[in-house]
Amino acid sequence: MWGNDIQLSWQLFKQERQQSHQRFLRWTQTVLVVFVLTLSLSSDNIQSYLTQNLQNLLGADAVLSHRQALSVAQYQSLSEMSDRMSVTQQVTASLNYNDQWQQVWLKGVDQNYPLQGQLRTTQQPLTGAGSVVGEATDAGPQVGEIWLDGRLVNTLQVPLGAQLQLGQHTFVFSRILLHEPDRLMEGHSVQMRAMVSAQDFQRLEFAEDIVQTRYLLAASNANVQALLAWQREVLPAADIYHKQGSHPLALFWQRTENVLGLASVILFFMAAIAIEQLSHVQIRKQRFFSAVCMSVGASKGRGIRISMLKWLWSIALLIPSAAAIATLCHYGLIQWLSDTFNGLSWQFQPATYLSSLALVLAVFLLFQLPVWFATWRHSVANLISGNGTERGMGLTKFAGMAVLSVIAIVYSDNWLLTAMIIGTIAICITFIVVFSWTGLSLAEKLSQRFSGLLPFSLYMMKQRLVNKSTQILGVGLCAFLLLFTLMLMKDLGDMTAAHQREHNGNLLVSQASSEQMDYMQTWSNEHGIDIRQVKPFVYAKLLRINQQTIEEFQPTPSDSMATMSRSIRMHWSADVPSNNRVIAGQWWHPQTENWQQVSVEEEVMTDLGLTIGDQLEFYISGNTATFTIVASHVYRSGGGNITFWVQMPPAARAHLDSAEFAMASLELTQDDWPLLGELWQKYPTLRMVSLQEMTKRFDDMLNMVTQIISGFSFLIILLAGIVILATVNAQERKEMKKNSVVMSFGFDRRMCLKLNIVEWTVTGGLAAFGAIAGTYVAGLLIYQSQFSLLYQPNWWWLLSTLCLIMSAVVGLGVYASKRSLNASIRDLLAEN
Amino acid sequence: MKQSTSQTHECFLELNNVAQRFSAKGGEIELFSGLNFTILQGKSYAITGPSGAGKSSLLMLMSGLAQPSLGQVNMVDGSMRQSVCKIRERIGFVFQQFHLLPELNALNNVALPLKLRGDKRAHDKAKQLLKRVGLEPRLKHFPSQLSGGEQQRVAIARALVFEPSFIFADEPTGNLDPNSANEIADILLQCCEEQGAGLVMVTHSQALATKAQYIYALKDGSCELVESNKPAAMSEVANVG
Repeated sequence: MWGNDIQLSWQLFKQERQQSHQRFLRWTQTVLVVFVLTLSLSSDNIQSYLTQNLQNLLGADAVLSHRQALSVAQYQSLSEMSDRMSVTQQVTASLNYNDQWQQVWLKGVDQNYPLQGQLRTTQQPLTGAGSVVGEATDAGPQVGEIWLDGRLVNTLQVPLGAQLQLGQHTFVFSRILLHEPDRLMEGHSVQMRAMVSAQDFQRLEFAEDIVQTRYLLAASNANVQALLAWQREVLPAADIYHKQGSHPLALFWQRTENVLGLASVILFFMAAIAIEQLSHVQIRKQRFFSAVCMSVGASKGRGIRISMLKWLWSIALLIPSAAAIATLCHYGLIQWLSDTFNGLSWQFQPATYLSSLALVLAVFLLFQLPVWFATWRHSVANLISGNGTERGMGLTKFAGMAVLSVIAIVYSDNWLLTAMIIGTIAICITFIVVFSWTGLSLAEKLSQRFSGLLPFSLYMMKQRLVNKSTQILGVGLCAFLLLFTLMLMKDLGDMTAAHQREHNGNLLVSQASSEQMDYMQTWSNEHGIDIRQVKPFVYAKLLRINQQTIEEFQPTPSDSMATMSRSIRMHWSADVPSNNRVIAGQWWHPQTENWQQVSVEEEVMTDLGLTIGDQLEFYISGNTATFTIVASHVYRSGGGNITFWVQMPPAARAHLDSAEFAMASLELTQDDWPLLGELWQKYPTLRMVSLQEMTKRFDDMLNMVTQIISGFSFLIILLAGIVILATVNAQERKEMKKNSVVMSFGFDRRMCLKLNIVEWTVTGGLAAFGAIAGTYVAGLLIYQSQFSLLYQPNWWWLLSTLCLIMSAVVGLGVYASKRSLNASIRDLLAEN
Repeated sequence: MKQSTSQTHECFLELNNVAQRFSAKGGEIELFSGLNFTILQGKSYAITGPSGAGKSSLLMLMSGLAQPSLGQVNMVDGSMRQSVCKIRERIGFVFQQFHLLPELNALNNVALPLKLRGDKRAHDKAKQLLKRVGLEPRLKHFPSQLSGGEQQRVAIARALVFEPSFIFADEPTGNLDPNSANEIADILLQCCEEQGAGLVMVTHSQALATKAQYIYALKDGSCELVESNKPAAMSEVANVG
């Protein structure tokens, strides 16, 4: 019997394969398989690259990183747990050569460096032709020497043997730095690099608070475990990386992956609409087939079994082509990402293929189950009479929602964004449903007294409200998603200009000590330079939330968590800063003596799951202090762009024995820029970044974001097209009948075409209202919280883009309806 | 061929030397040829014949849905004569499968043709006709809530509501039990008569055919008048060949 069933199912599958509903279903499934497979393959490729990278680029068995140097006792303990140790110190400083200056990541290395791996340098000038291997070097620079990386050499145009100025000290440029074995610790930083000896680094007398100290350790696995326990106990604010642990970039990549995964909710949502529409046709055909099976003595179960086999055939044929496309996309994506992840190469990962395909197939199965369920639940009489499809359709909607919820839960790391995306979609659906019902009812009522095509179309649409609402909903959601994606792309592009318009100064000082700040005040007064904002802060690292470690309190990774696990800037202010707004709790009284209270930014609150009243324990300059969250604030544009995630009352300052820094913004004229050299020569560690530099960084990021969003928009457009085709396909039988019936009243085909155009225009119009409203709400919710952008909709742009989308919708809709427009009275006669 | 035309009726359909052929694997097949007869407005006609004789094809030609291979089908209205294809707005249909729109209730189904024509009294007129076919209590019922006979009554009301000159019915009682069929046939004939519409029915049912004023038999490529319930002066004889 199985043999017969397999043969029959193959035969039926071949016959159905060319039918439009099967074709649309195949397209939808292909888009999803390609998306999920490409994402999973690329992601695994990168994870495996990072693991390999960790093994090769840590430069030690374990690395302990801390803001300050360890005490003698701590250093002693560390020595006992390691076979060998090398200490490096890092700071951002500016280097001068021939009146040019460049900020560099300066590293001071001791006599034990490199501990593991090769330090590669060269004394041959770089020609730019091909990569230079250089020679392995046993130790770091000698006293008085400085080594520079290739990019820095090119930027400053400095020849080997030249003398460079760092603060008040002079160094001889003796070697070009090609590779540091502990390069991994710099993460994906693109800062230019320089290296000096530990003795010279001491000589430069950088303030202790700004120096990052790393201890590279050669240690056994047992010692690494002991080290981890010791660090948790003695140095909770320190970070440890070891070969058995995870790559510092792993969390960054996981977050990227999660954002992409969450974006896939949108794609799955659209696919769910298309599949729901197509299931109308599928259920009808399946029920008809079952009725035929039963009429010739076969069981209902056998009919369903054949249907399942047919489904398996379709999947078996779909997978190879979709997997091939995904493999090509994966290859392309890896090539593109290899700019960001140096040395990343394409790998074949059969296990990932299998696991991802299993996931997608499970999703497809969930979408397909309602079709079989609807057939199973119906009695013979139902099957023959064609009544009672609602149960199956309800289940289809439920299956769609279940799939979306699972994807949202699996991928979400930013609950605020997840809630906003899902909430916005829900709001958009509500808008569209309300617009459809009220709009059609009202329009039909008002147009009753008039004659013509439009009143008739409204009348018909009103009478077929449920069917039409689904179609409008599908089109409206597609338009909304597309409109929002395009709007986001455009507004992010405009953000650079917006930054310039805000005019908060064209030079940002991201870190200046009190002494440096005082000097800057004098210096700016002398040269008539305008300092726009100055905001003081201390560095603090969050250790515990309500007596639990951050990981214990909130196991889900997020952007906020990644930032909070490093040292953050804590600002103090008596009043709510002019660029902040309190959205929960209450800001303290300006003269309060209760210093142990803080206000936390809203996104951090949401991502970490914090509430007003929670206790935060911070590590500040060797001591810990506990604060209670009393308020939550958000950024408000217009009052300057320097804002802080955590803020405390000024009274706290007296209780915290910590170095004080400041952030500031300055407005420099074209003539003022050369004066910065003087400033940097005096204070090489002063961290400043010009607007041009920021704009360039932003442009690079924007370029990447634009490419990702463009690719994503392409997928949305593709799925939107399929959704429209699917909704037309689902309604095709009814439309054909309607057109034939209209013609039986003595009208011709042109009348049906006109009716169709009017219906699609009304459908598009209603969907457009919903899309605009949904986009507006999404803009209000998401712009502010996720991109710190003030949402100011450009209505002309929105409306013209929408008109373009809706014209395409009407065009595609009418084109897709051409089969139903070919209906004739003959078809009705032929049904006898 | 004998043919006479009523002098009292102003509007009629006229078939002049109509033939229908189609191509098949074995060559060209002729369904019928040389048909010459008229269909008068206000009269009822039944066309009977075995399956495959071409009854439905003839109905399509007469209603202007298809073009004959040879000859012409014209409508003559007073002094005006034009191809039937151009006066489609004056022709209505009743189908064996009813073909009501399932999303619309009985009243809205019947009001549909008037709505499309922009008639502001669409609902009132539809109500009247539904009352006429005995469905006043079921105005708000949807097709799925109506029996086959009731659905066909709605379909009849819908076909007549825009006051067409001619109604073409393809096996209008083919889906109904004998009692319902009889009832529906009477309603259809009476309504057409009251509205002054010409009725052409294609049917296998002898019972239905005998209710028509004129019965034609389509067989072996020819169509003959086999029975006339009216004086010869009121009807015509079509002779083929």
